[in-house]
Amino acid sequence: MNLGLTSCLVVIALSINSVGVQAVAHEVQKKTVERRAVVIPIDAFTLVDQNSSEFQFSKLAGRVVVVAFAYTTCPDVCPLITAALRQVQSGLTTDEHKKVFLLTITTDPEIDLPKVLANYGKRYGADFANWSFLTGDQAALQRVWKNFGVGVKRKGRGLVDHTPLTAVIDRQGKMRVAYVGPAPDAKAILRDVRGLLAP
Amino acid sequence: MTLSGLITTSLLLALAAGCGRNERMDLIYGQRCANCHGTGGRGDGSIAASLPTPPPDFRETVQRKSNSQIRRVIAEGKGAMPAFDPALRPSEINDMLQMVRYLSREGRDLAWWEKYDTLIAAHCSIPWESALGLDDAPEKKP
Repeated sequence: MNLGLTSCLVVIALSINSVGVQAVAHEVQKKTVERRAVVIPIDAFTLVDQNSSEFQFSKLAGRVVVVAFAYTTCPDVCPLITAALRQVQSGLTTDEHKKVFLLTITTDPEIDLPKVLANYGKRYGADFANWSFLTGDQAALQRVWKNFGVGVKRKGRGLVDHTPLTAVIDRQGKMRVAYVGPAPDAKAILRDVRGLLAP
Repeated sequence: MTLSGLITTSLLLALAAGCGRNERMDLIYGQRCANCHGTGGRGDGSIAASLPTPPPDFRETVQRKSNSQIRRVIAEGKGAMPAFDPALRPSEINDMLQMVRYLSREGRDLAWWEKYDTLIAAHCSIPWESALGLDDAPEKKP
């Protein structure tokens, strides 16, 4: 085979392959994150945390809670949401650490077992003292997703479409702010948290 | 070159370089990897700039990694990169290993392709997983 023909075939092959990936790429639209002021009571729920321990939401009464919905093999919005929560946690003062709690609730309990969630949290540098990663059985999670208004649709093993919600819950257990979008601004979340902490 | 020499060279080459791309690899890579790593593996996916640590350009990093090192990162994750075990089956993780290898050498000069592409194409036309009995059982429906 001569060099010219080889180079043509290689270029054609690479072009076809490039189109192939683009055709199936799970593109994230660069949408602005929408911030909504809401008042939605959150019902008590019990799930399982990254240590396989029972986690009762009611025990967070009196604290401001930031809740995000994500799953560990998510290829698009979740890494940005979890990175934002990490920024929120590192932006809290020592005093605020005692008054604020972070929750990441999975949308894929099939894959996200407690050990998987623990490794996920460690990779993001989460301080588990005030950040828990929750899973549970499908029925319990579905009640939580519904209460928060999160739609979840399984597309394949480890591949789930879900509402990219990050919510801020006040000390009385009511959702007061809902960020819907791929990359919530950590500074804006911190402002909301501090607003709800203020007497 | 004798026939046995050709087969041995083909196998060694394929082990070192991996096979070319196929539709299954493109599908998995497109669904799970391209948003961060980019369609060409240059670290320029649609969300790359927003990640805490930018993804690498495979051409600059993969050549220095062993297959087991790459497989471990795909399976266990690293930083913001998801751990794809157990969401992906072992054969799918191997597909992604090959894809990463493939994308890392897209910048290879034409002399390399001129020398080896026929052998790689011949090797990759053989259904090795089936021949070696490594096919996955079909996924169980919940």
